[in-house]
Amino acid sequence: MSQVLFIVFVLLTLGAYLATRWLFLTYRSPLLNPVFLSTVALIALLQATGLTLEDYRPAKDFMTFLLGPATVALALPLYHNRQVLTRHALPVLSGVVAGSLTTMAAALVVGRVLQLDRGVLLSLGPKSVTVPIAVEISRLNGGEASLTAAFVVATGMIGSIAGPALLTLCRVQSPVARGLALGTVSHGQGTAVALLESETAGAMGGVAMAIAAVFTALVAPYYLPLFLQ
Amino acid sequence: MATNLIKIIWQTVLLWLVFRLGVFVVGALHLSLPGNVAGMLLMFALLASGLVKPACIEAASGFLLKHFAFFFIPISVGLMSFGSLMRQSGLALLAILLLSALAGAAVTGVSVQLLQRRRER
Repeated sequence: MSQVLFIVFVLLTLGAYLATRWLFLTYRSPLLNPVFLSTVALIALLQATGLTLEDYRPAKDFMTFLLGPATVALALPLYHNRQVLTRHALPVLSGVVAGSLTTMAAALVVGRVLQLDRGVLLSLGPKSVTVPIAVEISRLNGGEASLTAAFVVATGMIGSIAGPALLTLCRVQSPVARGLALGTVSHGQGTAVALLESETAGAMGGVAMAIAAVFTALVAPYYLPLFLQ
Repeated sequence: MATNLIKIIWQTVLLWLVFRLGVFVVGALHLSLPGNVAGMLLMFALLASGLVKPACIEAASGFLLKHFAFFFIPISVGLMSFGSLMRQSGLALLAILLLSALAGAAVTGVSVQLLQRRRER
């Protein structure tokens, strides 16, 4: 029984991903986010059939096995864009540092005003970082992995939908600045939108996403507790 | 097709080894850094030093990064156990995510543009 369930879950997850990816590639709307739609569909299915997260866990562990190697693979686009990093070192570093510290502080301060639990606040901390790294930062600092994953995906959608309009409203025209802003706050999804604006913006977004992940991982253990006292 | 698949598989093994090395280094040195970040930095160092050629990981990296989002789905399904939190504070959380994302994007965008203008002068 459990083997059948395992195979069914893997096939359903793959099927949901392929179907929603097709939808996204066909209509190109950030609202049709494949992760968001697939997750909603799978949770609805589990709820409707009365199955639990424990039933899904073996399939989950199997499917996320390659996430480690995939995260290591992020080094390759960073390596290809290394000239961007050296040529624009000052704007990249200051932009990523300013944006990462601001977004973490804003989330924790507002969260505290709204009286959210400590665990939820810690899960909010790394929400601007790409999922696999955000999840690990969350775990190391006392947050909940799946909450953080959901916050990251939502942040990616928010940034890719509202980010470009906000930057235009703030009169940010420089492709370097726009790319860095989108990549720092909305990781891969922001980078994808930046890439649609221009090649420079896309390259900056990719570099910002990688640097923001490393920077957030380094400062989170010392920075997040400042807002929890 | 078949040779490409074999290439992807052994390149993934290489990526996996560097990932495990990252996890090992972090554990051995008691760093409060995720093992996958250490693995990514190690791989960047290997590429930058020329010890690993980009072509050695290109096929697997391309494949894994193209379908990067797939891995987030099984993790996000775990959100199921937070149903009551979502019903209770869903709107508050959405407001926090919106506000903090926009604040971060505005600060980065405006500060980088100011920095660039000052340099040009």
